[in-house]
Amino acid sequence: MKRVITLLLALMMVFALAACGGKANNGGSGKSELAGTYDITVWCPDNEVELRKEMIEEFNKSNTDGITFNATVENVGEGDAATQMITDVEAGADLYNFASDQFARLVQANALAKLGTQAAETVKSGNGEAAVAAVTIGGEMYAYPLTDNGFFMYYDKSVIPEDAVGSMDKIIEACEKAQKYLAFNAGDGWYLSSYFFGAGCVSQWSTDKDGHWNINDDFNSDKGLIAMKGLNKLQSSPYFLSKSGAAEFDAGAAVVMSGLWDYSAAKDILGDNLGAAPLPSFTVDGQDYTLKPFMGYKFIGVKTQTDATKAAALHKLAQYLTSEEAQMKRFETLGWAPVNVNAAASDAVKANPVVAADMEQQKNCTAQGQVNDGWWNLAAALGATAKETDDEETLKAALATYEEGLEKLKNLREGLLFVGAWNGWNNADDADTYVFTGDGDEKTLTIDVPESDYMGGRIVNIGSWESDKGFAQVTTGADLIKDLGADNPDNNIVFAEAGTYTVTINTASNEITIVKG
Amino acid sequence: MNELREKRGMGLKASRTISNTIIYILLVLMSIIWLIPFVCIVLQSFRVESTWQVGYVVPKQWGVDNYIALWNSDFKTWYLNTFIIALVVSALQTVIVLCMSYTLSRFRFKIRDGLMRFMLILGMFPGMLSMIILYRVLKDLGLTQANAVPGLILVYVASSGMGYYVSKGFFDTIPKSLDEAARVDGATRAQVLTKIILPLAKPIVIYTILTAFMGPWGDFVFAKYVSFGTSSGMNVAVGMWNWLTPDMINQRYTMFCAGGVIDALPVAILFMCLQKYYVEGVTGGAVKG
Repeated sequence: MKRVITLLLALMMVFALAACGGKANNGGSGKSELAGTYDITVWCPDNEVELRKEMIEEFNKSNTDGITFNATVENVGEGDAATQMITDVEAGADLYNFASDQFARLVQANALAKLGTQAAETVKSGNGEAAVAAVTIGGEMYAYPLTDNGFFMYYDKSVIPEDAVGSMDKIIEACEKAQKYLAFNAGDGWYLSSYFFGAGCVSQWSTDKDGHWNINDDFNSDKGLIAMKGLNKLQSSPYFLSKSGAAEFDAGAAVVMSGLWDYSAAKDILGDNLGAAPLPSFTVDGQDYTLKPFMGYKFIGVKTQTDATKAAALHKLAQYLTSEEAQMKRFETLGWAPVNVNAAASDAVKANPVVAADMEQQKNCTAQGQVNDGWWNLAAALGATAKETDDEETLKAALATYEEGLEKLKNLREGLLFVGAWNGWNNADDADTYVFTGDGDEKTLTIDVPESDYMGGRIVNIGSWESDKGFAQVTTGADLIKDLGADNPDNNIVFAEAGTYTVTINTASNEITIVKG
Repeated sequence: MNELREKRGMGLKASRTISNTIIYILLVLMSIIWLIPFVCIVLQSFRVESTWQVGYVVPKQWGVDNYIALWNSDFKTWYLNTFIIALVVSALQTVIVLCMSYTLSRFRFKIRDGLMRFMLILGMFPGMLSMIILYRVLKDLGLTQANAVPGLILVYVASSGMGYYVSKGFFDTIPKSLDEAARVDGATRAQVLTKIILPLAKPIVIYTILTAFMGPWGDFVFAKYVSFGTSSGMNVAVGMWNWLTPDMINQRYTMFCAGGVIDALPVAILFMCLQKYYVEGVTGGAVKG
């Protein structure tokens, strides 16, 4: 038996040693301090792999710093990047594409390296305000904008006359006449929210560096009701298809609301009949409202590195890969819309009707912030209700349910709690817990601390026990709590005696004030 | 008397014909429903006029472009990986399972009952629970990403000893007196297994090989974890899954179908050849001797 164990251990050591190989060879007496050969892994979607390899080769030849990348380019789609990275950041790619909805998660997981001053300047000068805002969290920039990620309208010119393109009603009329379908994915919040934004609603999402998000949303309003009526009208047409994807053109659709990823398929199916335009307007009670879709981005991110020179070299590569020339090249070979302001303004881009429609749509869109995952289901439920009925009361009830759902989502998210020995360290949102309330940065609560052996507690986010806010942050009222010194490794606030206390925390500065009574 | 028998006979025959007709119609209907998806996939894989999903089944233009495209993609690597994994696992797992079953069926040793009970309890935990820790261990051994193939083989084989139930049940039905006779004639324990038991247990051996082959062949969840975005370490299921993104599906849909057909071929062929033994194996193990 002993021999077997020894053998196993020996085997394990051999494997472990083998695993240590393959470190970057950073020797090289090059021109700058970045000179050297680096082994890197790059993730990008399947259709970009070949181009990406070419571009990295070109970078190796053209850069003046003597950097050579020995890159392994793997096919990992933008939609899957965050899930993969977060599973194991260490094993993840050094440079990868991802869609903007994953941005906050990746920053939280420490999977994105901050941009240096020079890189940040390059991004700021090359991109519009919206794109810059989309890569910024807490005043720091973390990624390089690559292309946009939104949708607009593809249509069959032989079915939809030029003068009908701007109006949903006329488009449906033309579809009905030709017995062709209009495809719009009204079962998906990403698409159907364009009705709400079109009617003037807002749903602004923001996230700070710690992953705490905030939302300013008014779907449950008269404007929201207009959007619901519009959605009902659309879905009640017999020639409506709740789908997206250019393949629908092959299945009898004349209009498909989709994004640039469907460009080549749409072009192959419709040929010269392919038309593209920004989303049309819908009419409710004689009033026109132009659809206003979510618009996100796709980015290139650099993983946080332990080796500073490698990190700097990677940032150089990322800048090269998102430069005006690189974006133009992607536009030419893959049909991806450039986000670089110069590239977007070029004649070649304007001459392409589909990409031009996408660019036009960018002027009328809602920046897609860090939408919480729970929101998509809430929004999808709105579309489902609007499909069933045009009864105003039911529609209003659906909007009210939506708002309730949103409130629940908010409660799950935020709320600082005071958990203590006397309430069983209850950290979930319950009647038994103490939740801080108040507008702005100052949050307050009152607690009754009963007499017990240990009258300690701490301030946590709902659902968590981790806290960096406790004894050390108390600025006023230190005389009311015990200083346990080394016996208090968890930074707990331990009250000296039983009684009623008012605790105030400033969420900006994390200063805690305790007043008795 | 004769007339009566004839009449009754005809009545019986007629009613049997009717019930048979109904049963066959039902069976034909069911098999059509079952086969439709497979037929669709096969037909779609030969469609060359477009590469996205369409609203019709029979291709307008036939060709093997999709298979050629598969040959030129990473699919070859994934296929080879899957094949190596399934082959090695089925070989090792068969040996382990058969030895295990023989031991538990024929030997009486101190912790036999305890061991069996322990394995029964262990088997009740879903394997998924151990996924994260297994990933960690494999990663530290350097058996993830590009080295995913040996890593996956290790994981699949490691737990195979616990799948002894069916074959032990079968071994139990083979009379012990055969062993004893062989032992009296001077055979060792190993010879009893290879010369006496295994030839008698052919169906169960084939059943074990088949199940051991199929498990890793279709695995997705664990294979995805271990290959972690590295194409050279993926199996077919994980590799093809990467084609299902909104960006790629329009270019890859028919290729995906072709990949599905190729992926299903070896298993289908294996089954057709060994079907007879498979059924015997499943039912044979259930008989308690």
